[in-house]
Amino acid sequence: MKNNIIILGGGQAGIYAAREIRQNDSKSNIKILGEENLLPYERPPLSKDFLLDKKKAEDLYFHSSDVLKNENIEFENISINKVDFENKKLFAKNDNVYSYDSLLISTGSENKKLTLDNNLKNDIYYLRNLEEAKKIKEIVSNKNKITIIGGGFIGLEIASSLSQLQKKVIVIEIGNQLMGRIIPKQIADLVQNTHIEHGNEIILNKQIEKITKKNDDYEILLNDNSLIETDFIIAGIGSTPTVKLFENTNLKLDNGIVTNQFCETSIKDVYAAGDVSNFYHPFYERNMRLESYQHAQNHGICAGKNIAGVKTEYTSIPWMWSDQFNLNLQLTGICDEYDEIIERGNDINNGVIYFFLKNNKIRGACGVGIIGKVGRDIRITSKLTEKDTIVDKQILSDQNLKLNKLIQK
Amino acid sequence: MSEENWIEVGSTDSIEEEDLIRFDHQDKTFCVYKLTDGFYATDGICTHEAVHLEDGLVMDDEIECPMHQGIFNIKSGEALSPPACEDLKTYPVKVDNDKIFIKID
Repeated sequence: MKNNIIILGGGQAGIYAAREIRQNDSKSNIKILGEENLLPYERPPLSKDFLLDKKKAEDLYFHSSDVLKNENIEFENISINKVDFENKKLFAKNDNVYSYDSLLISTGSENKKLTLDNNLKNDIYYLRNLEEAKKIKEIVSNKNKITIIGGGFIGLEIASSLSQLQKKVIVIEIGNQLMGRIIPKQIADLVQNTHIEHGNEIILNKQIEKITKKNDDYEILLNDNSLIETDFIIAGIGSTPTVKLFENTNLKLDNGIVTNQFCETSIKDVYAAGDVSNFYHPFYERNMRLESYQHAQNHGICAGKNIAGVKTEYTSIPWMWSDQFNLNLQLTGICDEYDEIIERGNDINNGVIYFFLKNNKIRGACGVGIIGKVGRDIRITSKLTEKDTIVDKQILSDQNLKLNKLIQK
Repeated sequence: MSEENWIEVGSTDSIEEEDLIRFDHQDKTFCVYKLTDGFYATDGICTHEAVHLEDGLVMDDEIECPMHQGIFNIKSGEALSPPACEDLKTYPVKVDNDKIFIKID
């Protein structure tokens, strides 16, 4: 049977879902509706290789227009402003109406904005999409002292890139450690040392009281009355799922769109995937919302299978990375449910990993090292976690013993 | 086929099964693998970003990049999983008197 399948959101989850649907269903119409006038592209390089001029915009596309054409996947640049789930219709700002039989919502997430009492909205920069990255890259070339508000992944990656462009960088973080939402303090402290060694200033435990514009520069007043002078401000203070369109509908929302392990929402024939979805993870037996490259891809693929009628549970163990200076940081699983922590290695040059165990099984791990030094062990850890293996702690803690000995085939 | 193109990498017992070694020759770098059915060789640098695959995970005929988990088939070089999308170059391998040789163009 030929169906109309609409994918609302032209990011990574959307494009991977579209291609997976096509793998399993050669007949249906598949249309991606994207708000950016760009084919789906990779976002991780925006804060790193794109700012550093190692990658150009055209290097970022997941697939060329030829691939989409060959697979008969339509992409349309359009902004939807109303959804009628009952009659299965989407309404665009330009009065176009799109009817669907199945809908995938992959609208992603958006940056939280600073709340400032004075009118400095246009003076604070954020980085999520290519346009914003281009703007930052252009303006920053004429700036010298840059302040980054928020010591999370995005802020620190930008801090690393700008430092490599010989800029003076200050990072202000409200919490008592960097990347505090998901990264263990032990690892965050190692990353912080690297930033300091490269000349970046890291200010923890401070809130911003006020930002004042002085000619072309700014003064940032912190809650301890200290004053920072800067000529450019970038904020990376977290993100929220993009769900405004669904707020007055029957779609169940709770920190994103609530989905089960099959990417199904509370409304029949409506699916959600990627950053926007607060999904049930059968392994961890709880709902979670993830913002990562691997998740967007795998969740999109899983949604695609389910939309095409191939019933598939989403069981991927979470994994994410961040690259800062010559460090590669990786996280697998979840690191907040544990009764024991085991450390592997103590020298960042060889990689340092912390494993978080519960009942002698790994629930998650986080590691950092010079590029290439933790990836293999973190990957093996994902497999051990997935297989719910009872692990030999001696092997985990001894960097001279290979972790792949722990994998039971 | 000229004999000069075969470069000695090392002895066959220098690689554990389902593992790899790095091999540098002139200005190029390679990975040489021992799989259950023999020895294989590929370029040493991931096609996605300039990171060496020597620290990657070898499993089921696949090498996984340690940086971003791009996966390649070791025998064909095919890029199997994003972010890698460009295939990895592979090289012929032969074993002679317990020594591994790879043929570099």
